[in-house]
Amino acid sequence: MKKVLAMILALVMIFALAACGQQAASAPAASNDAPASSGGSDAPAASSDKPLAGTYDITVWCPDAEVELRKAMIDEFNKTNEDGIVFNATVQNVGEGDAATQMITDVEAGADLYNFASDQFARLVQANALAKLGTKAAEVVKEGNSAAAVDAVTIGGEMYAYPLTDNGFFMYYDKSVISEDAVGSMDKIIEACEAAQKYLAFDVGNGWYLSAYFFGAGCVSKWSTDADGHWNVNDDFNSDKGLIAMKGLNKIQASPFHLSSSSAAEFDKGAAVVVTGLWDAGTAKEILGDNLGAAPLPSFTVDGTDYALKPFMGYKFIGVKTQTDAVKAAALHKLAQYLTSEEAQLKRFEAVTWAPVNLNAAASDAVKANPVIAADMLQQQNCTAQGQVNDGWWTLAAALGATAKETDDVDTYKAALQTYVDGLEKLKSLREGLLFVGAWNGWNNADEADTYILTGDGDVKSLTFEVPQSDYMGGRIVNIGSWENGMGAAQVKTGADLIQAPDPDSNPDNNIVFLAPGTYTVSIDTASGEISIVAG
Amino acid sequence: MNETIEKRSMGLKASRTLSNTIIYIILIVMSVIWLFPFICIVLQSFRIESTWNVNYVVPKQWGWDNYKALWTSDFKTWYLNTFIIALIVAVIQTVIVLCMSYTLSRFRFKLRNGLMRFMLILGMFPGMLTMIILYRVLKDLGMTQSNAVPGLILVYIASSGMGYYVSKGFFDTIPKSLDEAARVDGATRAQVLNKIILPLAKPIVIYTILTAFMGPWGDFVFARYVSFGTSSGMNVAVGMWNWLTPDMINQRYTMFCAGGVIVAIPVAILFMCLQKYYVEGVTGGAVKG
Repeated sequence: MKKVLAMILALVMIFALAACGQQAASAPAASNDAPASSGGSDAPAASSDKPLAGTYDITVWCPDAEVELRKAMIDEFNKTNEDGIVFNATVQNVGEGDAATQMITDVEAGADLYNFASDQFARLVQANALAKLGTKAAEVVKEGNSAAAVDAVTIGGEMYAYPLTDNGFFMYYDKSVISEDAVGSMDKIIEACEAAQKYLAFDVGNGWYLSAYFFGAGCVSKWSTDADGHWNVNDDFNSDKGLIAMKGLNKIQASPFHLSSSSAAEFDKGAAVVVTGLWDAGTAKEILGDNLGAAPLPSFTVDGTDYALKPFMGYKFIGVKTQTDAVKAAALHKLAQYLTSEEAQLKRFEAVTWAPVNLNAAASDAVKANPVIAADMLQQQNCTAQGQVNDGWWTLAAALGATAKETDDVDTYKAALQTYVDGLEKLKSLREGLLFVGAWNGWNNADEADTYILTGDGDVKSLTFEVPQSDYMGGRIVNIGSWENGMGAAQVKTGADLIQAPDPDSNPDNNIVFLAPGTYTVSIDTASGEISIVAG
Repeated sequence: MNETIEKRSMGLKASRTLSNTIIYIILIVMSVIWLFPFICIVLQSFRIESTWNVNYVVPKQWGWDNYKALWTSDFKTWYLNTFIIALIVAVIQTVIVLCMSYTLSRFRFKLRNGLMRFMLILGMFPGMLTMIILYRVLKDLGMTQSNAVPGLILVYIASSGMGYYVSKGFFDTIPKSLDEAARVDGATRAQVLNKIILPLAKPIVIYTILTAFMGPWGDFVFARYVSFGTSSGMNVAVGMWNWLTPDMINQRYTMFCAGGVIVAIPVAILFMCLQKYYVEGVTGGAVKG
């Protein structure tokens, strides 16, 4: 028995030692933030004319389709760059749609250079997972790209990523079913599909796709975030224009030959039209061959008027993760510039048919000659730039499509649009606004049921509420969902006699601690940051 | 007299045939329903005329292309990872669980009841709650990303001692007098376990191995966290999940099916070989002595 015990103990000790050993061994490799890590020290000729020279171990995330190409491009960069930079890159398959979720889970372990879709931009900036572009890099991006693309990588006047390709959708169709003159009109397309007993696949159960109807009818829905990550939305779906869109959505879904799908594989199952993006070009071509046609989305007709569908158009970017080693960061930015340069975008177009966004690359003859890309480019001229759409918006928008499918009753539409607007307000109020959290509401900073929201027009927001008797009658003002401590006792200018004096030692969170229970009115001037407290 | 008996037996026979027919029809219908998805996956994995989802079941062209494509992709690494993890966990966890059960079933020591109660309560906390913390700990130990395999093994076996209930229940049903007889003959405690208890408890040993193997074999949530975007540390579930994005699925659908078939093979073989013990094992622990 003793022997067994001794063995187990020995095993435990070995294991503990092994664990320590691994930690020590992996620490330098795992952290990129060791000052002047591999980069600086390995560079023998780190003379003043080549300050970036050195070998760097980096991780790169890009989607499966691009992995091989990306490896080749980094090799090419290693050979051709004039700064003596050599990247020892591990390229991993992480899709653009998944990049932010992964990145935000653990920024430190994330890739140094990664692809992501534009809807994740704000989240990544907030998580400090994107490094700012330097002045020179920013100028290159500004020169090479459209204003819309530059706008999409800018938050609070700073640029954070390199545009790589666009991320939008348009219409693929079977030329043998849909004639050239029907392509421009949704009504004619539906007619042609019904006549040929073929399906029309347009995923109007999905907010990303169905919003084309609303934007086509002239509606606006623009989310924006400021430098602090605060949400703002300008949205007029709940209007006469919105009703037009609802009627259009009803019309297409009323056809028995409509499919809610966005996969080019539908062509193989009897579809004549599929609305999807460039990523499906290969599949569509393989199924339809020479019969493959591509065009911008058609117009839909409501009450005799035509409205051209105007889809969301986003981008895919390459981002550089924030680095503590400035030299490595600069080298990574060089690589990112190289990977999004005109030549690289053309190469990518040839290898995986991704549409270039670089203005020169997009204007090249080879790109224009590709019918699918041509349709995509035409669509870009009539599209809605996809801003920083709030995550919760997609569900709200999808509900509109579902309502339009169920009924053609205008009053129901109005009710649905009202629900939509209420939903928006709720989303905003949960993202935007000041709360007074504290002992009185269990320090609840997000659940709408029990929040103390400061209200008011203009800069001054205030709240009158009851402080119940308790051991600790403290709390502070925070932005919804956050725990910041910049709006507390130290900022109280009026009514400081009602609370404990601020003291960083005993009250590190800068809480406003009331001396007595009772009713108080707390107001804050958001412009100056001053807080005033009035009893009663 | 003889005639009546014959008549009766005829009636019995007829009614038995009838009920058997009905039962068989029901069973056949049910097995078709259950097997259909799997047959679809197998057939799709041999379809080579296209790589996307189609609306027919039987392929127009048959071939091994999807399996060959799997062989050249990262699937190999993922499969090997999964297999290594599952195998090591199956061995270590089985040893721990059996030792634990034997101890709790046969020994009487201070705090025995307290320990059992403590583990019962501890087991009530969902393991998922600890996920983030575990990730941080593993990361500090350098056992994430490309080192995910040892990390995951550690996660899976760490709490395995608490899964002793079923096998302890089974051990309790084996008469204690057998132990005593062996002890009188000079056997040590370890010999009692090895030579007396384990041979008698074969079904429960098999059951423990099976469950220990199945857990890591199909895990997704922990595996996804720990491998964190690093292909060389992923298991099959996580790796193949990356193929399910809208821009990949039309190129990978049939490969995905082929992967599914390969994943199912070892589990199917294990179950077929150990099936006869499995049922005994599941029910065996239910009767407490």
